[in-house]
Amino acid sequence: MPIKTLEVIRKRLEERPAELRKLRESGQKVVGWTGYNVPEEIIYALGFIPIRIAIGGDDRLVEVGGRYASSKNCVFIREIVGVFSENEDPYIQQTDILAFDATCLQNFRAAEVIEYYFKKDVIVLGVPRNFYWEEGKEYFGKEADEFARLLEERAGVALDLAKLGESVALYNDIRKTLKSIYTFQAAKDNVISWVEVFDLIQAGDLLDKKEYLSLLHETLAELRALQHNPIIEVDGSEGRIFISGSLIPRGDRKLISIITSVGGRIVGDDIWTGILPHLDLEIKEISPAGVALGYLNRTPHAALPYLDLESDRRLKKLHELLGEFKAQGVIYHTLRYCDPFTFKAKETKDVLAKSDIPVLEIHTEYAGSDYEALRTRLEAFVEMIKIKAESAAEVIV
Amino acid sequence: MVKTDLYEYPPELREEFEATEAIQFRDGSSATAADVWHFMTEIAPKRYPFAYTQKKYAGVRLSRDIHLPSAIKNHYLLLTMNDRITRSRENGAPVIFVQGGQSVDPYYAAGGIALRPASVGLWARGRHEGLGLNEEVVRQHKQKEKAYHAISFEACQTAGYENIQEGGLPIDMVAPFTCLRCSDISYGVEAHRHGPNKAVKLMNIDYPMRHQADKTWAVEYFAQNLRRLTSEIGKLAGREVTDADLSKEIRLHNEGRRLAIETAELWWSADLPPTNGVDRRSLYQMGGMEVHGDPSASLTVLRESHAYIKERVNKGIKAEGVVDKPIRLFVCGSCVFPNDFRIEEAGAIIVGQDNHWSDISTLVEEDGDPYQNLAHAILSYPYEQSVEVRAAWTIEQLKKSRADGVLFLYQWGCNTQSAIARMLCDTIKRDTGIPTMIIEQHEGGSEQSEQLLNRVNAFIEML
Repeated sequence: MPIKTLEVIRKRLEERPAELRKLRESGQKVVGWTGYNVPEEIIYALGFIPIRIAIGGDDRLVEVGGRYASSKNCVFIREIVGVFSENEDPYIQQTDILAFDATCLQNFRAAEVIEYYFKKDVIVLGVPRNFYWEEGKEYFGKEADEFARLLEERAGVALDLAKLGESVALYNDIRKTLKSIYTFQAAKDNVISWVEVFDLIQAGDLLDKKEYLSLLHETLAELRALQHNPIIEVDGSEGRIFISGSLIPRGDRKLISIITSVGGRIVGDDIWTGILPHLDLEIKEISPAGVALGYLNRTPHAALPYLDLESDRRLKKLHELLGEFKAQGVIYHTLRYCDPFTFKAKETKDVLAKSDIPVLEIHTEYAGSDYEALRTRLEAFVEMIKIKAESAAEVIV
Repeated sequence: MVKTDLYEYPPELREEFEATEAIQFRDGSSATAADVWHFMTEIAPKRYPFAYTQKKYAGVRLSRDIHLPSAIKNHYLLLTMNDRITRSRENGAPVIFVQGGQSVDPYYAAGGIALRPASVGLWARGRHEGLGLNEEVVRQHKQKEKAYHAISFEACQTAGYENIQEGGLPIDMVAPFTCLRCSDISYGVEAHRHGPNKAVKLMNIDYPMRHQADKTWAVEYFAQNLRRLTSEIGKLAGREVTDADLSKEIRLHNEGRRLAIETAELWWSADLPPTNGVDRRSLYQMGGMEVHGDPSASLTVLRESHAYIKERVNKGIKAEGVVDKPIRLFVCGSCVFPNDFRIEEAGAIIVGQDNHWSDISTLVEEDGDPYQNLAHAILSYPYEQSVEVRAAWTIEQLKKSRADGVLFLYQWGCNTQSAIARMLCDTIKRDTGIPTMIIEQHEGGSEQSEQLLNRVNAFIEML
């Protein structure tokens, strides 16, 4: 049975660019942000409209962006640059200010390229590589203060801590609700798919935050009405797939559509356009630094190097999510020249192999030329984990 | 390989060479010019025949400017890398892998030896004796392949993984700066965590970005990184590192930096190039005092060379193999450069590079807190600034060096230098009208590809 609120959300997304245009005409400003540790609550609390710049899947824009950056940048970054070059995306067109962070150094370079060639007003938040050191956290707190100051200048108002508190409460509620909804997609006899939840999460990048929260509550209510007690358990030979690795932004559905077309059921992810950024974000202090530290203390993004394998929280979280969603195999997705994830591909495979978890690395870009090659590999992988699951079930019987 | 295939220094040069100065090492020992001559003519051809190749365009071949003593001494220091570093390490000096294009004052202040990727490669190379050129190239490629397998085939910089994790090279610590110069480096450091060598300590010296030198908190954070670094190296070396140790090292390294700047200005002022491109690069880089793994040795050779360059410039002596009025190329980009031998054959010469020169030409304030001073200087490297600031500095170097054209080269897989290439070149062209060209270099064999060199030669022809 279709979830009615999802239809409402799709319609609201169609209407959103025109709505943003009107809001800008009435004097509001839109901050387009991209990165992995941008404290969006600060942007929102200052009265800006935050939208996330996460666009992919268009090989032509990758080509265009590469002319300004280089062919050696990851396809996501190249597409972002290409999008600004063409300025035809209805959301990009509405951005007044851009906020980038330096978690990924290629993201940092993209900020420079966009600032240089397209004369955009760009604010950059520095992010420590030694993020787990106290000194690194202190540095990041100061960077967050500076980030807030630069936004205040553009907003023409000082940051009101009461408003920041309200913003944090709103975002906390969004995160909590998303987490609840996410459970339904992985459940037995699920009434919502992972793909639908994935789209739902990404809708939050663009919609008005209060309206989005309201729509999430409605979605959750619908789900609860349809499935009173979602239980996550393995049901026969579904081929339960977990997606890890490089981000999959809006517009890029190649991998996802192939997995589902070959009979795989996606039940979880730890990608940065999926559920992961919404997990474990605890803000202990209502201040720019306090909010920013909440972000930094989450499961770290792979672009932030961590030098001890045994205590790596990214890998621990991956294991935790695999267990929680009862995944039977991992598709480790790496985008062309996405070093944060490609450099860890073999290591991740080796680590998961110790837990007897099958992994397939898919290294791809936005071109469609590898579609059939990917389909063959993914079909074989899904078939393999189904057979493995069936064998395991027979042994248990 | 039979000896007749190898280059030989002319015996008649011996007397002149042996009258030149000794190389003074950091541990107080020295190598007289006679020692150097003996090694370079009797020992090294047997141990390292690849370096004596007669192959005209081989990147590793010895400079043929045999009347420039520093050229021979530089090769001596490079070919004795294994002997010297192994001995120093056995005597208690920890060896640390660092980034290229960064200053190494704190590493030496703490009693360590800092080796950049190329120097680590030289040390590893020195452990394999008797190889001809092709054998050496194959060895290197086989070794690098191990890193690609363990990390990623898209890696450019692998933080010495192939030698440290898979080659048994006894590096004690991997602790480079994480600057924008290379985005692979910090992931390369991280990759060591899954390698078999668990003894190697890992640390990233976290380089803040975006107007970093103007931010007090960024300078403070980087200074804290440097303090942690010296403390960790000090533990390995079994000593406590004081502020005075760092101040002393900064003064020493400033001497090298000043001397390199003076040498460069002298070189650039000459009507006729006083050295070929290979020797010019070696001279400038000696100012960074890190390429040989012994700052004192680099400094003594640089001091002596400076006098020779001065004499050549004053007397209007031109280096052998360089045309009278060569096209002057300035190279920007990542840690690669075009083949000097081919460039010179085409009637041009490389007069400077932004890589390395950015840190070598950045002096450190000597009064006050040495960590703060060093942090501020390092965060001021022109190479690491915004494109407009970096371009302004590059243009200054273009003017000083009287460059006719700019080549921006980056290695395949280099994400951050490739991404700034067009911006930098566009800014240089906008502000000076100097022609620029961007080239991506793939790892090759002993020589660079015809495709790359054809493009460079066409650029030279156009200029």
